[in-house]
Amino acid sequence: MLNSRQARWGGIGTQLFRLRALIVLFVLAAAFAALSPAFLTAGNLTILVKHVAINAILALGMTFVILSGGIDLSVGSVAGLAGIVAGGLIHSGLILRAFGIVIYFHTWLVVLIALLAGALAGAINGGLVAHLRVAPFIATLGTLYVARGTALLISNGATFPDLAGRPELGNTGFLWLGAGRMLGLPVPIWLMVACAGLGALVAARTPFGRRVYAVGGNERAAELSGVRVSRIKFAVYVISGLCAALVGVIIAAQLGAAHPATGETFELNAIAAVVLGGTSLMGGRGSVGGTIIGAFVIGVLADGLILLGVSEFWQTVIKGLVIVLAVILDQMQQRYSRRAAATRS
Amino acid sequence: MNLRNASILTLTLCAAWFTGCQSAPRVGSQKKLMAIITPSHDNPFFKAEADTAAARARELGYEVTVNSHDDDAHKQDKLIDVAIANGAAAIVLDNAGADASVAAVQKAKSAGIPTFLIDREINATGVAVSQIVSNNYQGATIGALEFLRLLGEKGKYIELVGRESDTNAAIRARGYHDVLDKYDTLKQVGRQSANWSQTEAFQKVETMLQSNRDIQGVIAANDTMALGAVAALKNAGLEKVIVVGLDGSPDAIASIKAGGMRATVLQPAATISRLAVDQAHKYITTGSTGASEKQAIDCELVTPANAAQYGLFGRN
Amino acid sequence: MSKAVLEAREVSLQYPGTLALDGVTFRLRAGRVSALIGENGAGKSTLVKVLGGVESPTRGSLLLDGEPIALRSVRDADSLGIGMIHQELNLCPNLSVAENIFLARELTTHGLLDSTAQHHRAEALLARLEHPIDPEALVGDLPLGQQQIVEIAKALARDVRVLMMDEPTSALSPAEIAILFRIIRDLTARGVAILYISHRLEELLEIADEVAVLRDGRLVAESEARVIDTRWIVEQMTGRTSAVTDKGPQAPAQAEILRAEGLSLVSASGKVVLQNASFSLRAGEILGFYGLMGAGRTELVECVMGLHQNASGSVVLNGQCLDGQATSSRISAGLALVPEDRQGAGLVQTLSVCGNMTLASLRQCTRGGWLLPGLEQAAAGKLVTDLHIRTAGIQQNIGSLSGGNQQKVVLAKCLLTSPRVLLLDEPTRGVDVGAKREIHEIVRKLAESGMGIIVVSSELEEMLAVADRIIVLSRGVITAEFDARQATGAALATAASVQPELEAGTRQC
Repeated sequence: MLNSRQARWGGIGTQLFRLRALIVLFVLAAAFAALSPAFLTAGNLTILVKHVAINAILALGMTFVILSGGIDLSVGSVAGLAGIVAGGLIHSGLILRAFGIVIYFHTWLVVLIALLAGALAGAINGGLVAHLRVAPFIATLGTLYVARGTALLISNGATFPDLAGRPELGNTGFLWLGAGRMLGLPVPIWLMVACAGLGALVAARTPFGRRVYAVGGNERAAELSGVRVSRIKFAVYVISGLCAALVGVIIAAQLGAAHPATGETFELNAIAAVVLGGTSLMGGRGSVGGTIIGAFVIGVLADGLILLGVSEFWQTVIKGLVIVLAVILDQMQQRYSRRAAATRS
Repeated sequence: MNLRNASILTLTLCAAWFTGCQSAPRVGSQKKLMAIITPSHDNPFFKAEADTAAARARELGYEVTVNSHDDDAHKQDKLIDVAIANGAAAIVLDNAGADASVAAVQKAKSAGIPTFLIDREINATGVAVSQIVSNNYQGATIGALEFLRLLGEKGKYIELVGRESDTNAAIRARGYHDVLDKYDTLKQVGRQSANWSQTEAFQKVETMLQSNRDIQGVIAANDTMALGAVAALKNAGLEKVIVVGLDGSPDAIASIKAGGMRATVLQPAATISRLAVDQAHKYITTGSTGASEKQAIDCELVTPANAAQYGLFGRN
Repeated sequence: MSKAVLEAREVSLQYPGTLALDGVTFRLRAGRVSALIGENGAGKSTLVKVLGGVESPTRGSLLLDGEPIALRSVRDADSLGIGMIHQELNLCPNLSVAENIFLARELTTHGLLDSTAQHHRAEALLARLEHPIDPEALVGDLPLGQQQIVEIAKALARDVRVLMMDEPTSALSPAEIAILFRIIRDLTARGVAILYISHRLEELLEIADEVAVLRDGRLVAESEARVIDTRWIVEQMTGRTSAVTDKGPQAPAQAEILRAEGLSLVSASGKVVLQNASFSLRAGEILGFYGLMGAGRTELVECVMGLHQNASGSVVLNGQCLDGQATSSRISAGLALVPEDRQGAGLVQTLSVCGNMTLASLRQCTRGGWLLPGLEQAAAGKLVTDLHIRTAGIQQNIGSLSGGNQQKVVLAKCLLTSPRVLLLDEPTRGVDVGAKREIHEIVRKLAESGMGIIVVSSELEEMLAVADRIIVLSRGVITAEFDARQATGAALATAASVQPELEAGTRQC
């Protein structure tokens, strides 16, 4: 009798814990809605989701890396680099001094090249981690600096302004990626939805996704089960690089300008979203859906506090407190479910 | 054991390398040397500053070294040591911290090398020969006055402040408010720090617009944030909102020409650099600059009317 | 007979799923060496943990000098003069020898570390052990044997009344073992009570004064060491007088399916782990590898799986040469390994029961590249039934299963890859008696279906009960081969203790 009641309460408790990020999200949203009449308007919610999209896409790539037991500190720099590559190709074209010619690419080709630049940065991370066995923290820290420096070198420290493109060069339409709308919603939101949907499917419903979890959970057991561990590790960094590059392109398209310092400290927001979403930094445990919720928590917090006119200093303090709180809840849940498992057996 | 030996060897090599650098005064060269040290050239402002100073010094017949201390006082100290070792005739320095730089400048002075500070002051007098800075406060006030004029002295506006821990962010905000707060007809409806960043300014303005779509102006403490605000306003279909920045960066001037920002305030980096090199030359040749140590150079307002006259942080 | 210093009275310890100790009464006497014998999983290490304060007994009591005591931690045991030398070395490789010896017991003057005193004390201790190791050397730089000496010195540095040694000689050379035995004699002469655990029976009979045998968590026999021999010990350990087993008729000989030629492996520290091991396996045959700890059994199957890049030798599976192929290719070719270290290498703790089972065969559960949960569950569900895996559901956390059922999950994972040859490394370690019997039955059925099977075990009984043919390894070399029908526990134990001649030039200097 007592046991069954305990079990029932235990079940509800576990469910509540599992949804903790979602609960935090709703509490925050309700609080902001009560405090600011502007919060629950369609316009504000659209803007908010658009802001979330940036961090959510970065955090999506980061989720795969962290699930595999790694970390990617280079995402902010890679975003900046991809933005500069796209901005430079649209604004100044590819200058071949030796031949005295300048090549302008079609807009979609420019986007593709920028994404490839991100994938290349990810491949360097992956190669260092998977094949040369450099600790992920160190490898991606190195790439953080190299990518940032490369962006500065390409642009000589300056901004590439006016990315609207010129019709006579056939490279217009870039700004649509940042400022355009489809079915009434900004394009970045659609990009986030597409990436998150694809990411969630890959993580949950493909052999690749399962192997990422396995490598993060127990690398040796995965290896003994025939998983090619180094391939999986390589792939997650490439995914993260691609996501980062997409973010860089979106930001450049939103601002209509590419600045080499874009994306500084973005990696911290991305890691925070992943952790808030319940993904373990030890690897092997977590989900894409959780990460998206985590990104929303951070986004709602940031925009809501701005709407209320809270000072920058307090915004920073509150963001930190929410992250720590979420991690404490995570620890409590783990202990709780371990105890539940122990009493079952 | 091997490891220990190897690291000792490396240390010895390093020491030898440093000594090698420092004990090689340029005896073969007939030309005098001018050392130019500024913050990172990531920022076009400092790049323009260093480029102008170097060009002017070469014009005057000097050999020139250009280095960046990346706002690291320790690195600045090493660069000054190198300048001393090289027997530089003068140092032109945009320093890495008002307090942290005093000792380094004093060291140069003790070695008989005059230092000419540009852009930022240090918290000591009588150490450097000249301290030539742009007047941030004056710049902010003329920017605010133009903002006021453009708004017709009334309406709602948003302010974007710089990184709240920077001295310049506070000085600029004070300059803005000393002007704007006198007018009851003006109402500040939002104030956020965007940490000098374009992306952050873009997102924060977008959010602030949600509760205040009826604003008439955005005043930003630098041009980068102002450009972020312009992009956000354009997205929201509020192109008529007046945006004013500060710095006079090439991007801002291009935006003014294209009808984006309405005004910025140019920090005369080029003028200051040229002036510092000229004073250094005069000091080397005559023993005096003929000017007082502390010199504040006024900033200049850039508007659509005069934008065509301005280039890289200076008049064309 | 001298009086008992430390006594466990009617001690039981319940782990989730298994009763590790069942009413054990055991005494350690001053100045005597008591040997504790039993197969893996019999409860030896658990009893040592209870006596050393690592685990608290579920029932029963501990007495020191006849007074009841409660040991809540290793520190408690330490303060009462109960010392322990662990099977796995408990040393910090980044600290020096002296720092390790005095770890958590640092010698200080006025609250500051007295390195000089530590250095001299450590030097004296090591001299007594006849190993003048530099006290300032980093432990990580020392060969394993010397690390073992440091571990012993660490225990001696504390003034112990009771010293427990769990497999202290597994990393020692014969000369080092002789020194250790002199030290033990020296300690007993001063009245220290010694508990000694080893799998090497000759060694035990040489050093022990009395012998106690554990089987399945119960103390089954005790005797004075001088009146018994290895045969008696093996009989008590396995619970049988005869080694003849009631296996069915020998399966008709089938074609060779796996051949290994000249497998050799030298460890990173230069020690010969495996030397020139060759064997062949027929389809439908169960081949057993028996050996003591450090004999190279695990490394042998790991080499077959391609887990050691620096190993030499050749492996041919069903006519296909596997040399130079990665583990994943070997799995596709038809090899599968149930590893010895279930938690460290067999299971992914963060995946569910189902996720663990299908991990090695995910391709079979996909349609058009997407995993279908239905296919996964069908595959896993079938094996849950076939192997009688007891779980509340296949989506359960793997950690909620008992050891035996976890092991069946690892086995199921291997079977889902449809292997031609199955390698089982200590398949029943830490598994209760019931599950053990079930696993043995499964293995036999698999062999009957034509699979080639290799079983590695350090349990005599398991070897004799399961294998058709037994190969014995000692220190990396194959020393004997038996038809299981003719093999006896004593013969296996003798072959496993042989000191093989290592080929000149490969011996570590």
